[in-house]
Parts: sequence; structure tokens; C-alpha cells
Amino acid sequence: MSAFRWGRGASGLRRALWPAGPPGPLAEEGALSGVWGRRRSLSASPCEQDRRKDWGHAELLEVLEARVRQLQAAHVSEVTVRRPRPARLPEAGGFQPRRKAQKGGEGTAPGLGGHWAQKLDQEKWAMQRRKQRLQAKLQVRAQQLACEHRLRMVPQLLSAPLAERLLRWEQETPRSPWEEQLARLLREAPRRLSCEAERAHEAGGAPARLEAQQQRLLAFLECCLLSGHLPLAHHVLVTCHSKWRQRRVLTLAAYNTVMLGWARKGFFKELVYVFFMVKDAGLTPDLLSYAAALQCMGRLDQDARTVQRCLDQMAQDGLRLQDLFSSVPLCQEEQAALLQAVHKAQPTFSPPLQPQPEPQVNTSPLLREIYAKEGPVSYPKLHLPLWKLQTLFQQQLRVEMATTVTVESVEKAQLLTKEVLHARRTLKQLRTAWVEALCAGLRDVKASEARAARSGRPTLFPYLCLLTERELARLLLQTLQVLPPQGESLLSLAQQLGLRVFNRHAVQKKQLSQVQALQQRYYQYLHLLASDTQVAVPCLPRQYWETLGAPEAPHEQPWPLPVLVQLGKRLAEMLVEVVRMPGSLAAPQGSCSLIPVLYHVYSFRSFRQIGILKPHPAFTQLLATAAEHTLTFEAAEVPMLCPPLPWTSPHTGAFLLSPTKLVRSVEGTTQHQRLLDSCPPAELHGALDALTQLGNCAWRVNGRVLDLVLELFAAKGCPRLGVPAPPSEAPRPPEGRLPPDASPAQKAELRRELARCLKVAREMHSLRSDALYRLSLAQHLRHCVFWLPHNMDFRGRTYPCPPHFNHLGSDLARALLEFAQGRPLGPRGLDWLKIHLVNLTGLKKREPLQARLVFADEVMEDVLDSADRPMTGRKWWMEVEEPWQALACCMEIARAVRAPDPAAYVSHFPVHQDGSCNGLQHYAALGRDSIGAASVNLLPSDVPQDVYSGVAAQVEVFRSQDAKRGVRVAQVLEGFISRKVVKQTVMTVVYGVTRYGGRLQIERRLRELSDFPQEFVWEASHYLVRQVFNSLQEMFSGTRAIQHWLTESARLIAHAGSAVEWVTPLGIPIIQPYHRDSKVMIGGGIQSLTFSHSGDTSQRPNTLKQKNGFPPNFIHSLDSSHMMLTALHCYRKGLTFVSVHDCFWTHAADVEVMNQVCREQFVRLHSQPILHNLSRFLMKRFCSGSRSPQHLKSMRTGKLQDTLKSVPKTGAFDLKQVKHSTYFFS
Amino acid sequence: MSVPRLMLSSLAGAGRFCVLGSGAARWKSVRARNRRGLSDLHPQLSPSQGFRDSPSWLPKNRSEPRSYITNPKLATTLVQILQKENRNRHQLFLECNPGPGILTQALLESQAKVIALECNRTFLPHLQSLRKKVNRKLEVVHCDFFKLDPRNSGIVKPPIMLSETLFQNLGIEALPWSEDNPLRVVGIFPAKNEKKILWKLLYDLYSSTSIYSYGRVQLNMFIAEKEYEKLVADPQNNLYQPLSVLWQVACEIKLLHVEPWSSFSIYNQAGGPKKSKNKEPLEQINKQNMCFIQLTPLQNLFTENLTSVNYDIFFHMLKQCFMKRHATLMDHLQSLSPVNAVAILKEIEKDGDMKITDLYPEDFKLLFETIESFRESCRWLFDDCIEDIIL
Repeated sequence: MSAFRWGRGASGLRRALWPAGPPGPLAEEGALSGVWGRRRSLSASPCEQDRRKDWGHAELLEVLEARVRQLQAAHVSEVTVRRPRPARLPEAGGFQPRRKAQKGGEGTAPGLGGHWAQKLDQEKWAMQRRKQRLQAKLQVRAQQLACEHRLRMVPQLLSAPLAERLLRWEQETPRSPWEEQLARLLREAPRRLSCEAERAHEAGGAPARLEAQQQRLLAFLECCLLSGHLPLAHHVLVTCHSKWRQRRVLTLAAYNTVMLGWARKGFFKELVYVFFMVKDAGLTPDLLSYAAALQCMGRLDQDARTVQRCLDQMAQDGLRLQDLFSSVPLCQEEQAALLQAVHKAQPTFSPPLQPQPEPQVNTSPLLREIYAKEGPVSYPKLHLPLWKLQTLFQQQLRVEMATTVTVESVEKAQLLTKEVLHARRTLKQLRTAWVEALCAGLRDVKASEARAARSGRPTLFPYLCLLTERELARLLLQTLQVLPPQGESLLSLAQQLGLRVFNRHAVQKKQLSQVQALQQRYYQYLHLLASDTQVAVPCLPRQYWETLGAPEAPHEQPWPLPVLVQLGKRLAEMLVEVVRMPGSLAAPQGSCSLIPVLYHVYSFRSFRQIGILKPHPAFTQLLATAAEHTLTFEAAEVPMLCPPLPWTSPHTGAFLLSPTKLVRSVEGTTQHQRLLDSCPPAELHGALDALTQLGNCAWRVNGRVLDLVLELFAAKGCPRLGVPAPPSEAPRPPEGRLPPDASPAQKAELRRELARCLKVAREMHSLRSDALYRLSLAQHLRHCVFWLPHNMDFRGRTYPCPPHFNHLGSDLARALLEFAQGRPLGPRGLDWLKIHLVNLTGLKKREPLQARLVFADEVMEDVLDSADRPMTGRKWWMEVEEPWQALACCMEIARAVRAPDPAAYVSHFPVHQDGSCNGLQHYAALGRDSIGAASVNLLPSDVPQDVYSGVAAQVEVFRSQDAKRGVRVAQVLEGFISRKVVKQTVMTVVYGVTRYGGRLQIERRLRELSDFPQEFVWEASHYLVRQVFNSLQEMFSGTRAIQHWLTESARLIAHAGSAVEWVTPLGIPIIQPYHRDSKVMIGGGIQSLTFSHSGDTSQRPNTLKQKNGFPPNFIHSLDSSHMMLTALHCYRKGLTFVSVHDCFWTHAADVEVMNQVCREQFVRLHSQPILHNLSRFLMKRFCSGSRSPQHLKSMRTGKLQDTLKSVPKTGAFDLKQVKHSTYFFS
Repeated sequence: MSVPRLMLSSLAGAGRFCVLGSGAARWKSVRARNRRGLSDLHPQLSPSQGFRDSPSWLPKNRSEPRSYITNPKLATTLVQILQKENRNRHQLFLECNPGPGILTQALLESQAKVIALECNRTFLPHLQSLRKKVNRKLEVVHCDFFKLDPRNSGIVKPPIMLSETLFQNLGIEALPWSEDNPLRVVGIFPAKNEKKILWKLLYDLYSSTSIYSYGRVQLNMFIAEKEYEKLVADPQNNLYQPLSVLWQVACEIKLLHVEPWSSFSIYNQAGGPKKSKNKEPLEQINKQNMCFIQLTPLQNLFTENLTSVNYDIFFHMLKQCFMKRHATLMDHLQSLSPVNAVAILKEIEKDGDMKITDLYPEDFKLLFETIESFRESCRWLFDDCIEDIIL
């Protein structure tokens, strides 16, 4: 029944199977067929039920039928059962016959009996009579129901001649085959020319709304197909088609979808009905329609003549037969059916071979070396043997099939008092009851949605049928479990729920179809990675994976955002309605009335109301008392237990079953996906390979650090060290009420205090749960090797997919992780460890490496003390900038220096190299600014330069000039201009901070200075931000010009009505998803939801965001390109490499190599004419005229052209010098 | 009204402000003129160099239209009304945005002391000259009464001020809530965001902050008829809403006078007569009457269970109730409070089946106080919304 249960069952079987060396082939086969047989029955039975339902029979029918079956099972012998079946339904899979055979076997047994055989006969007779009665009743009822709401099959056509013909053919069915009809239909030219255009014109005002409706209907039809409700889909199509007003939501794609559904099942008559409608709507069938028709013919084994006529017509319509096989996404089985039909007519036809991906090679000059076949390559291998990796794969597969992971919490265990046990028992009972109640509720909802669908509206019905009721119920209870005590907005809850249903469905679908193939391929793939296997030709993981088989089946299309929200909202509403608990838990008897567990309340922000679902305090209390010791995560929120699947396309990679997108984006933003899908696959290779490689780094938990953190966490926490305190440490509001005669000031003070306490408590709660998740996962994975699959944002910046536990977090989060694979330190490794330690302390930022090394030796005693007695010793590590990482480093150094031969000591510790103000580095290189380049360490220098001090010095120069001229503010500011004051503004200027934001930053800094005269803050911050900008202008003249040029170009492009697009030097296409908000409203239910969505491409672009976003986004796309290049080259050299944006990690032994690669790649990247390429691309994209000329008025185009052509001039900086700059990344 | 409307230009002697010209030029001249006028109250506000770069502190919408009393007859009527019920002839009036100062003059003539809070710099010089004439019985401050004490504590620059500074400068002493009203405010609610201002005043009133920290300040304001109807709506009226309940619970609301809109003049911030850029909404207002109402905070507003500490829960309760207007009292009680609903109903002597909007303002207050009086640790299902303050 439930996939969950089956998943466990299967994995149980599998556990018995796989590790068990060489079992007898017979046993294995038997067990396997058991597994798959069971699966088949699973897939068959819901399908069968559903189909029956669609044919217009309701629940009663099912009950009656079930009863018949029951009787059958109890007593079957010679009675043959004729179950009433709607016409033309094929037999449902292999399930039924098998069962019948079994029953036959049973049935024969009692026949042999002696004297009591008579008695049995009597009973049998009685049973038979009862059954007959029941059957009669059943038939009557079935007919009634069928009349009540029979699904419509025959379309009602608008065009009179067509309708007449349909009627005629309908009545004469036996004599005139439907094939004839189809042929005639196809021959006819579309009745009304460009009916679409006419409709579009009619729709006029709201094309966006219409588009949304069309999208929704299409998604509904597709989902009906998925959930086996094809007749319902047909019914809705016919209903919409027959109503003129609703007809405009029908697109050719909608007709094609239903057509394809019928074709898959081989139902020709229904297919022709749809063709009638297509013609009636005045649409011209396209490749997809023909593919459906031919597929159907193939399945029905039609004669050659019919097929030939269809093919002829296709040729006349200007569609090529070849394209059917190359450009229509069909699965293999469908293609076979299609080919069968084509072969009837043209026996010699052979489909074009699938274009193998090999001839495609990435064209980016930067990647030429990476994909060059010659030259020495030493791709790294994992440290694990093949068998181990295979076991790990099995573990991960089990996790993903179970869809959730239960993890023990690291919260201090409660004493098991009576109270706690009682609470846990109560919760357990409640949950059991809730699952039942939710299942019942879901059945009701489904029934009502099905009724609504019968009236011809696309409803949620098919979506609700994708998962079993039990599974949905469990999903809802999980949501309830993690709801924060202050509640969560209905909108976000709905979106989450919808998304989770979709993900589960996607996993389930893959699980049913692809697991075995996946396992085979993955086992093969592991030969590339395992330590004890070799492959013939060394190649990248993606390349190897591609050689192992055909590309994956087309992925699951995401549902439109409104559907997601609507589905989630319906489920959330049901949760509110159904889940109830006793009003008072104190009373042991369940005598008291039931109260709802969830409340729908409103929160008021200004004049907006936000609907919130909030758990009843009694429920929160119950949860707290029970203090359950487990946390539940979705499978995709936990790091993987085996190497992730390599990225091979924008939607395949990372997790084994859970769907993961290459480009993460706000839900409902589709433009990135579309852009990636439309670009030649080879262009993405750089990104795909870099992400694969980042994900392939194996990690383990730093157990000693984790122990220390857990110790603090279980005690009172330590906010200073980043360990959040438990709620018991939250500030308490003052007790008691104020006396009635308290002054207003006192009352206001009390209110402020209350608000402050509440705010602090809430912040603490969220920090605490964040840490709880992270630490619990760390504890869960303590003795494992694990992997962090990566994906990227739309600019190419990479992120690990698992959200709670990864290397991209605070100091604490980073300190918990180390490489699972170790490398001997080698001659310089220990020095790098020491330098890294000094870097982590933040103490010697402006000293040369040698000085840092000396300092490390100076404090060695403290270091060893910290490593040995972190909590009891001198606690040197606690005082530094990044305490936990420093501590971990201290421990590593201690172990290394105490090893007999430090150079041979195998270190797992990641050493970091940071870019110094990486954004400005890229700007300085782009603009070849000499002064700027020197200040961000692009020039070799003996000591590291500090751009913030540089800017501060420049500001000071301007200030003293002004002070001399008698400017008051400048005089006041004397002695207050420091690195700290300007740092944040300089850092963020790359990311587009404006004067306004910059002033606020500086204001904050000035307010922190206790001796600065506060009445001047406003004026001084104003003055300073201007001087900071002036100084930057002075030092980075090229930079400012480039920023300005980018901003101006983006402004003009956005004005012309397009979103800014570009291509990174690695070839990744990028589009800025900033549009004017489009509002989507979902009415009905407990509250109507309105949400605005800025990623809707049908809206005009948001000029302000497009313009302000372009410079930082462009720089990010460059820094990500630099990172990917470094990653790929490091991989080719056999290094372990991961990154946190502009902070690169590797083993201590390899730091020098990585540093060199990093510098070389920076030089190579910037040796490209990046700005000129950009200018050329933008010109081609936005000024070529062929594209949307109605938007681009000629004058605007002219201005845009002029702007784009005037690429800013660059300075005289010699880029090559970067290669020798020690402190470029350090 | 047949009385010729006085044009601003003839009063202020600032005719060139009405001449169409570039905004910048006009602005500069205003600033130059104001330096003098403001210096005695705010010596630190000499225009600094920063001004030219960042006009960000200036009101966003400079040409927000305001209406002014320009009809002397109306002014006289108003003064008569105001002084009729006044025991103390020398009472202190706070006039918001007097503009050309017609009402100010009338008030001064009736022996009252007046403080003029004018947010539009254009009118300041004229008011200053008036001040000299009446021998300092008038104080003029560049201040926007409706934007006193901004909640998002940004930088406070005139015309935005803190009431504390303002009242301290003017030497106004706070009176306890039990005393008579310390001063009376006269003015017109700006047509554009009446609703917002009404809410802001409510928050100030219930929390006894801003002007209400000086006692039971009485408002005498012109308000659009439609808004007035909302204020005094009761369960029989479908305009009944949280705003009505809160005002009726807090104040005694008296309708003093009704005046057609046509007796007022509209000027935009720059001082010129309102240009017909967005005429539609104004035309609509034109058809309305303006009501002169008096809002006097009640002495017994605060009780043991409704205080300026927990008032926001009362606000929130009302908003929740009115979000689902058609639900019954019983339904609401269940989602308002975990306290036993039957016990509450018994206490307030109401039937659980009645519609929530059939409760009168005093019933709502009673309901709130009843729930508050229970001694359960958790009395409300939404009590953690304390920070959700509007504006």
C-alpha cells in the first residue's frame, strides 16, 4: 500500500541479499522476483481501482465489489464471476489472473471432502445466493451511478459539419472504421485560420492570467495521466471544449497530452475524438499529435494503408518523419510502438541514431586544457575500496527510498519520569488517531475534488492521488511536529507542503522505474572512484558516467507555483480541520471535549494581514514535556552517504532519487532552467564538472571538536563561542503587574522590556534549533564518511545542497568538518598548518608569511596547551577571531609535531586560502587599475597589502585638506578615521552598496565610537561616505568606470523591456530574474492567499533591480568562474579542493600547488577580453533588431548601442605580475 | 459660501512661490528665507553642507496636498463653538497646520493662547510675522503634528519632531490622566492618510505615549464625513470595525459642526494652489462634508485589566474578531483564548451563538477585561504578537 512500507520491506530483503557474497543463483532470483513482483502488484492495483473510479462509479460500487471479491475468495469453485466492467477496458495487468489461479487451487481442495462436503455444499449454495443478490444490487447501483455522473467521452463540437460527421460516424461505427475518420480529419485544412490569434485578441486585457490558466489546465491533464485518471482528463477536456468561454484555456499542448494518454493505452476511438476537437478548435496537429496517433496505430497493429495515409499527411504538413524520433521526447517503449507503426508502411525506415554526446566539446578557450586528451593527468581517487563504496550506495539508496531520516537529538536526554512517559504515550496515541483521521479527511477531500473535476474544472484531485493517503497523512504530521510555537505563515507552509508532495512523488516515480538500472550504472561508475579499481582511460566523472549508458529519461516537470500553493493550502486546511486533541490533558480520562491543535489566526503588519497557523499552547506544552529524542529530516537535507551522482544535465545529478536542480532559485522561477535547457549541453560542461568535483570530496566529522561543542551545548551554551544557550537561559520578563498608579513612563518601560525579552527568546530559539539540527546531524554522521553534493545559484556561485550541516557556515560549523581522505604533510605542510592557525587568529594580518610562522612558533606553548586542555587550560584559542577552527588547528598541529616524523604525518585538516577583497580584485584586474591592483595584492609585495587601510589613508588625505580649508565636519573627524570605520563600506561597494546604505554603515561605526561627539554623527557619516567613494574613485578609477558602464547598460536593456542576460567566460548562460511583481491569488478555504512573484517573465523587468543587480552579479559570475577553473585544474593535478566562494580549501601538503593554480587561472581568466566579449554578446542579444522590435524604439536602441560600444578604457597594470604575488590568495 | 476666498499669495507676500518655475529654484529660496525664521527655536539647524547631497530626510511626497481654512466666517463659527464649552478663556490651543492663519487669528482674538505647528515652510514667515503682531501669545514651530514621534526611530529632523522636545521647548507640563485636558488640538486630518493617522493616534492614546503622555489631550478636528461615520459606527452599521470600537471605547466623540468641503482651500506643499494632476480623488472628496468632531479621552479608559501595558492584546483581539466577521462569539472565543469559553460567556453574560460583530464597543472591552482577569498562565493564543505595531 504505502511506498514507505514497501521501501522498508524491500530494503530489508535487500539487506539479506546483497552483502551475502555468492548466494545460490536460484535463491537470488526468487527473492528478486519476489521484490519486483510485489512492486508490480503495487503499481497495478491502485491503477486498476482508479480507473474504475473514473468510469463513473463511486465508492459504494467499490465496497460492493470488494464484498463480491471477499465472497469469491471465501468460496470459489466452479462459479465464474463476471464482474461488471465498463466497455473497452483492457485487463488490468498481471495481478488478477495470478490471484485467480491461486484461488482455483484453493477451491479444488474442499471438493474431495466426504460427509461434511455436503454441508459445505449447502453453505456454498447459500453463499452463492447471497452473492448473486449482491451482484444484482451492484449492477443496479452501478448503472445508477453511471447515469448520475458519467464522464463525457464524445466531444460536443462547435463546427456544424464536423459535429454532424461525428454523429454519423458514431452511429455507423461498425461499418466505418475510425481510421478512415482520422485520415479524413487530417486531410482537412484547419477550419478557422489562426483561431489562436483571434482568441488572444479577445482575451486582450489579461494575457498573463490566461496563460496561468492554460498552464494550470495543462498541469492538471498531465497529472491525470500520471495518476492514471485519463478518462477524467478526457472528460475535462471535452467539457472545456464544449464551452466557448472555457475553450480559450485549451492549447494544442493540452489536446496533445490527452491524445498521448490514449495512445499509450492503445485506445483509438478516444484518440480520434481528441483529433475531432483539435480540428474543431481550428488548430493544426504538430509533431506530438502525429507521434501520438502513430504510436496508437503501432500498438493496435493497424494496417499499412492507414499508417501510410497518416505519414503522407504529415509530410504535407511539412513535418519530417525523422524529427518524430529526434525531437519528440518519448520513452523507449513508446518509440518502439511508434517504430512498429512506421515499419508497417515503410519497412526500410530506420530512425536516426541518437546523436551521441561525444562530438560535442566545450568551446570555451579557458577550458581547452581541461578537456585536452593529452598531457599528464592524475585524477584523484577516493580512499575507499569498491565493496565499501557499494555498501555505502546501498545505505544511501535505503535512506532516499525511506524519504526521511530519523536522527537522534543531541539535546540532553530528559529523565524518564512518569510525566514524560505519560506525555510520550499520549502523543503516540494521538498520532495514531490523527493518521486515521487524516486519511479519512483526505478521502473526503478527494471525493469532493473529484466531484468538482467532473464539472469540468481542473482541480487538485489527481495531485492528491499521487501519494497514498497514509503517506500524505504522515507528511502532514511531520509538518505539524516541526511547527514553531509562534506559528508559521499559511503561505510558506502551503508552499513547503506542495513542494514536499512533489518531491515525494518524483522520488516514488524514480523508485518504481529506475532503481535497478541506476544501481548497475552506479556500480560501474564506482570503478572510476574506488581505490582498488582502474578504468581504461582516465577521465572526469561526468565523462565516465556518460559512457556508461544513455542519457536519463526526461525529468519530472515541476508543477506551476499556483498549483503547488493550492495543493499545500488544501492540505494545511485539512490539517486544521481534522487534527484535534483533548482540551485538557490533565484529566486522564478522555471525557473532556476535543480542541483543534492548530489555529488559523492573523498577524497584522501595518495594514496587511498575514494568515498564520499556530499550534495550540497545550500541544506545544505536550511536545515539550514529552521531549522526544528524535529529529526527522527529509532525505535530501542530510549529507549523502555515498559519492553523489555526477551532474550530467541541468536536472540530473547529486542525490540518487530526490530531484535536485542544478541552479537553485526561488520556487516558480523557470527562466534559468529554460535557458540552461536551450543551451548546447557541452557549454555547461565546465560548471557540471566543477560541481561534480566539489561534491565528490569526502568528509568526516572532527570528533574531538564535536565532543567539546556538545559538552557546552548540553550545559548552558556559550554565545561568545557560537554555541547558543538553551531556552532556560533566556531573559525573563519582570514578574507581576505594575501598580495601577504607575506612571506612563514606567508602563512604557515595562512594555519595552517585555518586547525585548520576547525578541531575545525568539532569536535564541531559532539559533538553538539551528545548532541542534547541525550538531545532531554531526553526531549522526560521526563515524561515517559522507559527501556534500553541490549546486549553484544563477550566477554560478556554488553551494552544498544539504542545508543544515555543511562547510559553508559559521566558525563552529566549519570546525566540525575535515577531509575524510588524509595526505601526509610533506616538507612544508606543517608550516602551512602554522600559518593557517595564525590566519585564523586574525592577529598578524599585515605581516609577511615568515613573520606569521615565527609568531606561531612563539605561541607554540599556548597552542599545545589549547590542544591538550581546551576547557581547563589557558584557553588561548577562545580569544582569537575564529576560535573553534583555531582549536581544531591547534589539535592538528599538536598531533603533527608529536608524530615521529611530522612530514609523514597524515593530515585530514583543510587549510584555507582567502582572496583579499575578492570582488575588488576582479574589478582591479578588469580595469587594470595599478594603484587598486597593488592595494588588493595583485602586485607582488613583501608584506600583504590591506585595501581598507589604503582607503582609510586616502580618506584621511582628503579630510585634512578639507580641515585646512575650514570645513567643520572634517575638523571634528580628526583622529577618528580608521580602517574599521571604512571597512564595511569598501567591502560592500563591490556588491553595489549605494551612498544611502554606505552612510548607514558608517553611521553605525561612528555610534560605536564612545568619544565621538554624537551630535555630529549624521553629518559626519554623510561626509565620510562621500570621501570613501571619492577615494575609491581615486584608487580604482577603472573600477568605477566599469561599474558605471555595467549599470548604465543594464538600465537601458531593462528599459527596452528585456531582462539582462550574459554568458560567463566558462559558457554558463545567466539571466537576472528580476521582474515586476506579478500577483497570484488563490481564493476559497479558510483564507484567500495572495502572493507576489518577481520571477515572472511575462512581466516587464524591474529596472531598478536589473540595474543595481548587474554589476555585483557580473562580478560574482567572474569569481565563480575563477573558482571553477581553479577547481578543475586542481582536480586534474590530483588535489582535493573545496571552496566557500572566495575561500579555497585543500590539504596542508597541497597549499602551494593550489595557490599557484589559483593565480595562473586568475591571469588566464582576465587575459580574456571579458568586457569586450560581454559588449559583443549584449549587442547581439539586444540590438540585433530581429528580437522584439516592437519594444525597442529605434532611439533607445541607438542609445543602448552607443553605450554598449563604449567599453571602458583600462589602465596600465600588467596582469602577469599576479603570478608572483604571494598574498593574492593567502 | 459667497465669501471670496483669500489667496495665499496675497497673505504671505510670497507671490513668487506661486509662479511656476523650476522646483529647485523655488526650494532654494524657501530655505534661504527660513534660516531666519527658525533660528530662535532650533539654533543648530543651520543648513549644513550635507543638504545638497541628500534630500533623503525630506518628506517623500513634497506636493502632498493639504486643505486649509481660508474662510473667516468659518473661523469665527469654529471659535464660537470651541469657546462655548470652555471654562477657561485663556486655554492653550495647539493648531496643526494653520497655513494662512485665518483660524489662528480668530482664536487669538478670543483671548486664547495658540501654538501653531506648521509643517509647510512656505507659511512660516507669514506666521512669524503674525506672532510679532500679537505680542507672543502665539508660538510658531516648524513641525508636523501628524508625524510626531516616528516609530521607526530614524533621524528626527524638522518637520518631524519628538513630542518630548517640542513640549519641553514650549514649557508644557504633563497632567495626570485623572485631571482635565492639558491642551486642545485643533486642525484638519490630512485627506490622504486619515486612516493611518487615526491608528497612530489610537496607539499613542492607549499606550499613553506621545502627546497623550501629557494627559487627556483633546482633539478638535475636521474629518471627512465618511471617516466620521466609521468612527461612530455600531453593530447595526456595516462600517463597524476595530477602529470604531477602539475610538468609542477610548473617547467621548462629539460632533460639533458640519461644513461642506467647498469652504476649504487646498494647497500643495510648495505653497501653490493644488494643481489638477490627480483630480479624481479630490473631486470625490469635494462632494463630501467635513465634520468638526471632538475626541476627549475618557477618564475611566484604563482599568485594572486594560492598561497601557496590555492594550496591544486588546487591539489584536479586535482585529482578529473583525477578520472573521461572520463567525460566532463561541468560535472566536475558542481561537482567541485557551481559557474555558463557557466560563467566559457566563462572566460576560452573553450567548455564544451571537455574531461577533453584534457586540458593542463596551462589550468588547468587557470581554477583554474578563479574559485578562483569568489567572491562567496563558490567557491568549496570540500573546506573542507584541511587536506587531503598525506604522
